[in-house]
Amino acid sequence: MALKKIIKDLAKTKPDRKFVLTYRILRQRYPSGEDSWGLDLQFLRKIFVKVWPFYRHYFKVRVFGEEHVPEKGAIVATSNHTGQIALDGALVTMAFFSDIKSPRILRPMVERFVYKTPFVGAWVAALGGILGDRRNCMALLKQGEAVLIFPEGVRGIAKSTSEFYQLQPFGLGFFRMALEAECDILPIAVVGAEEFYPYTYQARWLAKRLKLPCFPITANLLPLPSPVDIYIGKPYSVPKDLSKDASDAAIAKHVRKIEDQIKQMIQEGLEKRRPFALAKRIPGDAERQSN
Amino acid sequence: MLNVNQINSILIIGFAGGLAQALTNLLLKTYPNIKVTGIDSRDLSKFEETDNLKLFRIKYSRSNFEKIFRGHKFDVVYHLGRLSHAYPKANVLERADINVVGTQRIMELSLRFGVKKVVVLSTYHVYGAFPDNPIFLPETAPLRASFKYPELHDVVEMDQGTAGFMWRYHDQIETVIFRPCNIIGHNIRNVMCSYLMTPYAIVPSDFKPMFQFIHESDMTRILLRSLENVPGGVYNVAPRDTISMPKAKKLLGGEYFKAPISLVQPLARFVRWPGRLPQYLFDYLKYSCVVSTEELDKHLGPRFCHYSTREAVAKLLDETAHG
Repeated sequence: MALKKIIKDLAKTKPDRKFVLTYRILRQRYPSGEDSWGLDLQFLRKIFVKVWPFYRHYFKVRVFGEEHVPEKGAIVATSNHTGQIALDGALVTMAFFSDIKSPRILRPMVERFVYKTPFVGAWVAALGGILGDRRNCMALLKQGEAVLIFPEGVRGIAKSTSEFYQLQPFGLGFFRMALEAECDILPIAVVGAEEFYPYTYQARWLAKRLKLPCFPITANLLPLPSPVDIYIGKPYSVPKDLSKDASDAAIAKHVRKIEDQIKQMIQEGLEKRRPFALAKRIPGDAERQSN
Repeated sequence: MLNVNQINSILIIGFAGGLAQALTNLLLKTYPNIKVTGIDSRDLSKFEETDNLKLFRIKYSRSNFEKIFRGHKFDVVYHLGRLSHAYPKANVLERADINVVGTQRIMELSLRFGVKKVVVLSTYHVYGAFPDNPIFLPETAPLRASFKYPELHDVVEMDQGTAGFMWRYHDQIETVIFRPCNIIGHNIRNVMCSYLMTPYAIVPSDFKPMFQFIHESDMTRILLRSLENVPGGVYNVAPRDTISMPKAKKLLGGEYFKAPISLVQPLARFVRWPGRLPQYLFDYLKYSCVVSTEELDKHLGPRFCHYSTREAVAKLLDETAHG
C-alpha cells in the first residue's frame, strides 16, 4: 500500500525546467516531430513527463560521466542489461534526455517480438526504440543518431538473483556496426537496476514451453525503489585499420576490452552505491525543482 | 543510355489511368515531335485523339495486341497498366492474365520489335509489410508480399518476371522497373488515396507505421526523366521523409476514428465501413514498409521529388478543395 501511495504522489510531480528546455532543443532537431523509425516527440514528451518523477524521485537516478557524451554525431552506446523488464533502457534513455548538457534521444535496439505486439510496438517506436536489425541501426547511425545496444541481449535481463551483476558475454554485432559507421562506442554501466526485483527465479523451461524469450518469477510485481547510478565511460575509438568484415577473433579482442571497461564501472559503482532502503534525495534536487 | 533525340514514338499502356494521362500531357508538351500511342482495355471514348496521340482499346494479353507493335515502330514503352490488386473485382486468374501473362507479352513484343527502352511501373507493395522490415528497404530486399497474402502473388510475379527479363536481355533492351511508394494526387484513384480522403476512416491505434507518399506530378516527372537519365535497373521511388497516418489524416483535416486494427482486421471480412481496405492492406497500416531511394538518387540527384511526403499530402488536400 505504501508503495502505491508513493507512486500516486510521484505521478503528480512536475518535471524541472531543464526538462522543458530539453524538449525545445529536440523540437528544433526534429522539426516535424517524427522520424522514419516512428519517433514521436509529442508522445515522448507526454510519457517522459509522467516517467520523470519516478526517474528522479523513485529510482533517484544519478548520472556520472556526462562529459563523455558527444554533443552530436553518430555514437553506439553499449550498456549492461539488468532488471528483468528492461527498465534500465528507459532510465538510460531518460538520462540522455534530461541529465546531459546537450540532450540526445538514445535509440534503444529492441527485440523483434516487440514490434509484433499491438500497442507496445507502437509506443516503443514512438519513444525512440528501433527494431533490432543491423540495417536499421546503420541507417540511423548514418544520420548521426545515437543508438543504444545491449550486447548481452535478453540473457542480460533474464537472470536469477544468484546471477545478478554477472555480465553475460557480449555479442560482436555492435562493434561491427561502429566499425562500419566509423563512430565511437560509449560504454555505459547501470548499477541498481538488478534490485528492482531482488528475488527472482528465471523459469527458463517455462519460457521455452511458452516460446517466450524469458519468464521471470519475482517476489514483487512492481519494481522496488532501488537507487540507480548510471556511469558513462570514456568513448572507445574503433581502430581505423580494422575492417568491418574482420575475423571474429580480431573483433572479439576489442569487444573484451569494452566488456572489461563496463565490468570495472559496475564494480566501482557497486562499491559506491547508495544503500537501498536508506537512499536519500539527490543533492541539488531542491534547487532543480525551484528553477 | 537512350538519347531523347532518338525517340520518335512512345507506347503508353494503361492510358485510362490518371498517371498515364498526366505523363502523356507532359511528354507531348516537352517533346512536341514525339508521337504517343495510348492503349487500355478500359473505355477510351472520353479521350480525344490528336495528330500526335493515337488511342486503342485493346486487351494486351490478346494476340491482336501484336498488330499495334507491328504497325508502329515504338522506341519506348511505358507499362503503367498493372491491374490493381486492391479490390478483388477481377478474380485472381484475370489479374494473373493481365499482370503476369500480359506483362510478359509486352516485354517479348518490345524485344521482338526493337523497342529501345521499357519502363515498368511496379509497386512498393512487393516487399510486403512485416514487423521485421528495416526502415529504408533497398531494392535488393526480398519480395515477401505474397508470403502472407496470395492475392499479391501476381504483383510480385510481374515484378520478378520483368526483372528476370531485364537481366537476360540487358544487352538488347533497356528495362527500368520503378517501385514507387503510395502515389497520391487529384487524378489518382488508388486505394490509399481514397483511404486518405475518406472521412471517418479507421486509423490504427495499436500500430503506428510510417508512410511515404509521392505526388502524382513528381511521379510523372520521374517517368519523363527516366527516358534519358535513368539506366536499366530496379528503383524504389519515394520522397525522403515519412509521415504517420494520424499526422497525415490531421494534415488533411478530416475526421477519423482511432481503433485497434488487430480487432478491426478480422471484423472487416464481414462489415463494410468508410474507407474500406482490402485485407492485405491492413498489414501496411500495421507495419512500416519504407523504401530507400539511394539507387535513384545516383541518377536523378537526391532531390528528385519536388514535394516531400508532407507537402504531397497537403497538396492532395489543396487539389481536392479546389476541385
